[in-house]
Amino acid sequence: MTTSSASPKKAPRKAATRKRSATGKRPAAKKAPAVKPAAVLIVGAGFAGLGMAIRLKQAGIEDIVILERANAVGGTWRDNQYPGAACDIPSNLYSYSFAPNPNWSRSFSGSEEILGYIHHLVAEFGLESHIRFEKNVEDLSFDEKKGIWTATTDKGEQFAGRAAVMAQGPLSNCSFPAITGIEDFTGHKIHSARWDHEYDFTGKKVAVIGTGASGIQIIPELVKQAGHVKVFQRTPGWVMPRPDFATPAWNKKLFEKLPASQQAMRNLLYWTHESMALAVIWKSPLTRIAERVARLHLRRQVKDRWLRRQLTPDFTIGCKRVLVSNDYYPALQKDNAKLITWPIARLSEKGIRTVEGIEHQVDCIVFATGFDVSHSGTPFPVKGRAGRVLGEEWQGGAQAYKSINVSGYPNLFMTFGPNSGPGHNSALVYMESQLDYAVKGIRKIIENDLKMLDVKEDVQRRHNRAIQKRLARTNWNSGCKSWYLTEDGFNATMYPGFATQYAAQMSEFEERDYEAV
Amino acid sequence: MASIDLDKMLTKIKSTQWALSDIDWDAPGAELITEEQWPKLKDFMADLMWIEHVGARAFAAMAKKAPTDTLRQIYTYFHAEEQRHANAEMALMKRWGMLEGDEIPEPNINLRLVIEWLDRYSDDMPVYVLGTVVPMLEIALDGALCTFLLETVKDPVCHQAFEKINDDESRHLGVGFSVMEMQGRGKTFIGATKMLAPLLDPRLMLGIASYVPLLNKMRDNIITMGLPEERLYAAMAKFEKIGGRTEDGRRNPWFQVIRQHAKLVVNRRNRAYHVPVDGMVKLTGLIPRRALPAVPSWVKELTYQPTA
Repeated sequence: MTTSSASPKKAPRKAATRKRSATGKRPAAKKAPAVKPAAVLIVGAGFAGLGMAIRLKQAGIEDIVILERANAVGGTWRDNQYPGAACDIPSNLYSYSFAPNPNWSRSFSGSEEILGYIHHLVAEFGLESHIRFEKNVEDLSFDEKKGIWTATTDKGEQFAGRAAVMAQGPLSNCSFPAITGIEDFTGHKIHSARWDHEYDFTGKKVAVIGTGASGIQIIPELVKQAGHVKVFQRTPGWVMPRPDFATPAWNKKLFEKLPASQQAMRNLLYWTHESMALAVIWKSPLTRIAERVARLHLRRQVKDRWLRRQLTPDFTIGCKRVLVSNDYYPALQKDNAKLITWPIARLSEKGIRTVEGIEHQVDCIVFATGFDVSHSGTPFPVKGRAGRVLGEEWQGGAQAYKSINVSGYPNLFMTFGPNSGPGHNSALVYMESQLDYAVKGIRKIIENDLKMLDVKEDVQRRHNRAIQKRLARTNWNSGCKSWYLTEDGFNATMYPGFATQYAAQMSEFEERDYEAV
Repeated sequence: MASIDLDKMLTKIKSTQWALSDIDWDAPGAELITEEQWPKLKDFMADLMWIEHVGARAFAAMAKKAPTDTLRQIYTYFHAEEQRHANAEMALMKRWGMLEGDEIPEPNINLRLVIEWLDRYSDDMPVYVLGTVVPMLEIALDGALCTFLLETVKDPVCHQAFEKINDDESRHLGVGFSVMEMQGRGKTFIGATKMLAPLLDPRLMLGIASYVPLLNKMRDNIITMGLPEERLYAAMAKFEKIGGRTEDGRRNPWFQVIRQHAKLVVNRRNRAYHVPVDGMVKLTGLIPRRALPAVPSWVKELTYQPTA
């Protein structure tokens, strides 16, 4: 593969030749031709991968190749196109500060509009030529002698880069959950992250399994269309009201004519969300206030005491993801909807059998059961120095330095790596800090013609010890089960602090923390 | 009965689930119910079904206060399983033509009061209060009522259903007694006294005031239906024996309270207890139904239909 000309100050290193496939399975890989390395290889063309490319280009690094497994950009917003899909962070904050959009139609935009914004980024920053579609990476290996990362796709193609960025996203894979009898069900099955737009719900009896962030967005829409909707809930979440409204035309005009006004709005939203950290990350008097607000929201929308009890969480707010919705509770109380909290015993040919002995027969089951989150592995084998395999090293829980680099895997940067997750603020705010940090690292590699820039092991260890110590005092580690934690309760997902703290952590690229070769 | 491994128990519970549709409710045998039996059986089944149903609600309350996640999950399952028993018993009533249309049998006034109390206050009770009352009720159910039913009813479908119900109940009892022992473990005099402190809680007092007449009324109902009194004595003796077989169990003050109370309930000769409690039954009988609030919506979850 050849990349476009780059503008790093020093010439790219010589091409690396992969002698064998890392998986060792594909004959094509054994005979792979020489691959000219790009300056930067990015895996994934979602918000993270595209944002990375934009920031690199803005820093003067043009020799970028983005590998995308699908045939379109957008990542999670391309995949999550279920009815009602929307962001639960205001759009003026859930967008890049370096690419403001004055025309958001609502305070909380739908997935289609967000996907439109992502397409706009591609056009605006000329990213199309960098993207290689339908390149599903199955292996990423580092050649220590040459200082080159090589990605091998499922078709045996190889792409190389002096630096690599894993921007495949933490919530990009999904599968049907392992419920007993799932293979026996003969009706239609849909996963929320792989919506079947062809299926007509009109008049159908539908079951929705899961009442997390996706579930509570899908349910109100399905209740409008389907004949009957049964909602199977395992654990209720805290639901906060959603201050959603259409953006008035004058507001759009103001943002367009006076970009500083939009920045001021962004700042206001940022600091409002920052203050929420005090309620959702740590247990404080604000935590009680946040719970009170959620309880009032529930009480206002649900009059029946038993239904309220079924919908009241047993855990501290913030321990699991906080949900926002104005129409979820009303939807559950429509005549054609019913909340079921009995545990699921199994799936049967015609529906779902719950432990109270009843078989709930349905035409279609919607699985809003979330994503396959790997806390202790990698989405594809990642091989670093001296044959180290990242997935094996992470078996006890993923760890990185500042969430972005891992010792033993030089020149590799991760977006949304271990302990970078926000619980209270926009993911893109965190992402921007990561992108700018990666740019600094990549510039050092290119400008100093480094073969390897590898974070020191002891530095990484110290960093993680401090992170885990801080995490122990957070609501996430307060006892509830969530996708943030491994089975053993290890938190490899969240960052225990304010977004401002995270940004401060990422603001300096400390050379002394790295071994440069 | 040795203390059980609750994690293994949870796995077993999950792997031994059954549904109403596993039973052919239209299979022959319903005609074996005699005309003489029918009216008594109708009242008996209604009482049985309601005991299961309020037991289910008690497990729901216990799940909220369970000290470990495993126990919380177990109680969540038991809540649903007790509901399944009530559903299955309703399905038997339907099979025997004891339901008027699709109506749930009307709960008596004392049941209504207990339902109301469970709905309002049970979630606030410490787990060891209901955690001791429920095994006592279950042992009465398992050891006396169900055995009596199976001896008098020849319908094979009834036997099939109760075989499954009894399997569930034996697990409920196993967990119940283990938890009672856990709650008594290492309890000092002060610790045990603290456990009795909720007796001074007005909410629990209200609970006792609604529970005590219900038990008297139920006891008399089932004796009228032909249940030999000795069966109740035997069931209570079993509760005393299993609950008090270890030092830990005996140290649980609630075991001692419930044990003494159960003895009072089954012994009709104790006039000091029964005269005032019977008075309460009469008094509660005067409460007009319209004075009671509407039944909570969890009661409406009952169904005899295997599919929905």
